[in-house]
Amino acid sequence: MLITVLENMGLLCSKNHRYTEADAEENAQAAEIDRRIEQERKAEKHIQKLLLLGAGESGKSTIFKQIKLLFQTGFDEDELKSYISVIHANIYQTIKILYDGSKEFAQNDADSSKYVLSSEIKVIGEKLSEIGSRLDYPRLNRELAQEIETLWKDSAIQETYARGNELQVPDCTHYFMENLQRLSDANYIPTKEDVLYARVRTTGVVEIQFSPMGENKKSGEVYRLFDVGGQRNERRKWIHLFEGVTAVIFCAAISEYDQTLFEDEQKNRMVETKELFDWVLKQPCFEKTSFMLFLNKFDIFENKVLKVPLNVCEWFKDYQPVSTGKQEIEHAYEFVKKKFEELYFQSTAPDRVDRVFKIYRTTALDQKLVKKTFKLVDESLRRRNLFEAGLL
Amino acid sequence: MDGQFCLVTNHLMLCLSGIFSFLFNLFISLFFVSLFCRLIVRSTFPFFIHKVPIAKGSAFWIPVIQVIASFNFLLAIVMAVNFLKYKKSHWWLSCYVWAVWLEGPLGFGLLMSCRIAQAFQLFYVFVKRRLPPIRSHMFLPLILLPWVAGAAVIHEKKPLNYRCHFGTYWTIPVVCLHSLYVAVLMGFTRAIRHIEFRFDELRDLWQGILGSASLIGVWVFAYILNEIHDDISWLQVASRFMLLVTASILVLVFFSISIAQPLLSQISLRKREPLELKTMGQVLGIPESGLLLQREQAVDIDPNEPLDKLLLNKRFRQSFMAFADSCLAGESVHFFDEVHELGKIPIDDPVRRIYMARHIINKYINAGAAMEVNISHRIRQEILATTDLTHPDLFTNALHELTQLMKMNLAKDYWSSIYFIKFKEEARMRSCEHEMEEMRGYDFSPRLSSVNATDDPFHQDHFSRGFTQHSHASYLR
Repeated sequence: MLITVLENMGLLCSKNHRYTEADAEENAQAAEIDRRIEQERKAEKHIQKLLLLGAGESGKSTIFKQIKLLFQTGFDEDELKSYISVIHANIYQTIKILYDGSKEFAQNDADSSKYVLSSEIKVIGEKLSEIGSRLDYPRLNRELAQEIETLWKDSAIQETYARGNELQVPDCTHYFMENLQRLSDANYIPTKEDVLYARVRTTGVVEIQFSPMGENKKSGEVYRLFDVGGQRNERRKWIHLFEGVTAVIFCAAISEYDQTLFEDEQKNRMVETKELFDWVLKQPCFEKTSFMLFLNKFDIFENKVLKVPLNVCEWFKDYQPVSTGKQEIEHAYEFVKKKFEELYFQSTAPDRVDRVFKIYRTTALDQKLVKKTFKLVDESLRRRNLFEAGLL
Repeated sequence: MDGQFCLVTNHLMLCLSGIFSFLFNLFISLFFVSLFCRLIVRSTFPFFIHKVPIAKGSAFWIPVIQVIASFNFLLAIVMAVNFLKYKKSHWWLSCYVWAVWLEGPLGFGLLMSCRIAQAFQLFYVFVKRRLPPIRSHMFLPLILLPWVAGAAVIHEKKPLNYRCHFGTYWTIPVVCLHSLYVAVLMGFTRAIRHIEFRFDELRDLWQGILGSASLIGVWVFAYILNEIHDDISWLQVASRFMLLVTASILVLVFFSISIAQPLLSQISLRKREPLELKTMGQVLGIPESGLLLQREQAVDIDPNEPLDKLLLNKRFRQSFMAFADSCLAGESVHFFDEVHELGKIPIDDPVRRIYMARHIINKYINAGAAMEVNISHRIRQEILATTDLTHPDLFTNALHELTQLMKMNLAKDYWSSIYFIKFKEEARMRSCEHEMEEMRGYDFSPRLSSVNATDDPFHQDHFSRGFTQHSHASYLR
């Protein structure tokens, strides 16, 4: 028995006795590799490079996920399941932010009584806050979900949530808190919507290849889409992707005009977006690159704009509300759109005016809308290509 | 004949004295030109020859300011005590330009202020164990203010006589101001004397201070003599000579002493060990830092284990780091690695801990740092406002946040990447020294396919362990 094992090991470890055969094989392999590289290079030529850019939490990754759902195979069960820990982490982190926030407001705020928690809520809060600061979160069970729900429904926590713009509370909070029972089920498998809502701060670069027409590749262009992190430290990595870009999809979360940056709480997110867009527009690499501006998170915007005036943001200081309800929302949206338009034309040198610039109103969570938007993007890019080829 | 001879001799004497004075002037000017060149070369040479990474911020600017200040100081003395003769009088020959402004706020005051700013930083970091409450670029103008004020007062009151001398009444406060700054510098240096610095900053500093203190004594003595007795000509000559000699030595001494590691690497031409190929951990002598030990056991890696536990395994960490670098997200893993190294330094060795902590803060935490990590504003502020740089939990929160980030972003892709396959293969082969096989085709990870170019900032050969500071510099762009 021992001898056989030794023999086997010898076979595994020595390669020398098949040298000539291996040589021939290697040559054949090298030729095959060369051929493939050539093939790929040819194929690469037809692939259009799209970049998703924008500040942190502007919805780049949500768009990316949507593309995966819409034009690729989507998420299989394993992938969906891998989001359970993310969603649960989102819940624990959010409730910790809210609990710690309410304590802070109760201490420092002038109207502090609103934020004072009762002693029994405090016990739950301390426990959940401790879990939230752990490295490994436990799986959400019924009991924990119940406690989180109790805390969430507490008026002081709700008051704190109302001031969430000061606390870096993620946008998915309301959605997850309202679905706690379902999310804590032992057999819970995230739905597409849950996955779209799940908040993961992207770091580094992720790419995906797709064709908006689906399986029938001949009818549509092939795109390669790059998703990146949006925080300041991540942006220095962008420059490595800037070459040969067909179009930049710039995401701007228009609902974040009263929030500050995750990485710098002195800076308004909208002002940062403005400066970032300006910087991207002025990049020498993007001389001929099309710009697709996604004014994203319209769903949150339309709710917020009626409660929080647009002019709290320094960039929109000159905004004057005109009416109420739907009209007001439209008016505010048009104002923001105009601001971005102005910025685009200010930051675009005269020799670059012929590049494509389109603005879309999006809600990255809305699958139909994203699909429609991408059809439009695809169309305008194809038209552009034809134009460049002299066919239009 | 005699008369003629006398005339010739006189003529010759005149000529000779003219030549001598010319030579003397030439010699002096050559001396200063060479001194100036030397200072300039010393301050800039290392960048070109040794390719020392140029430090950003105060570590770079303070030495540069010192070069300028010492040049000003010497020039001010030369001009103020009339070493150079001018036939015509120009407006810029005014005593107040040279003896007051250039000697004080732009010369000696600036030089001492720079030194004090450095000593103050060291004092805060190593004695108070926290980051200095005020940045050098704010601190420096602040402590320079008394000099500017003093110069302005003197400029206004015009107490100088035609030979640029103060007289007794003004000499006392002027000398007091000079010695106050020397005393403050000595005070800060005393406060940090018990700290055993890693890069011999203090020993150098003390040597310099002892040397310069005695020289300052001579200098002050000569200065006072020169100022008060401006009627005794031999004393004037001697004291001026002493002033210039001691001041020149002083400036040279100032440049041979270093107060902090970055200064040393920039100003000194002495060849130190090549720092750039090492990690901070290795420089600080952390055991088993950097290089992989062959004898390290290859542990079976179970993807279901939490990532933070897995990352404690060095081989796994390096494989994971190579993967993270390839998708431009390596800084979190590098941070994990260095914080792990910091954890190896015992708590009772505060100096090494402070060095490491400061290194980590400068490299990963500061806004705009070379490998800034993706952490929240609050956590960053917490670290920067710490009251104890040696605290074992200084980076814990940041580490938690980044481990979460890695878990959510990278972990899943890693298990399907070429790096994990390589890692498994290596682990298997290590036991029987098999050759590696080409496995490019197995890369299922949705990570970058096209940006693995040479300009990839994280493009480092991690299996051969090359962790240079240059690569970070290129990554800055």
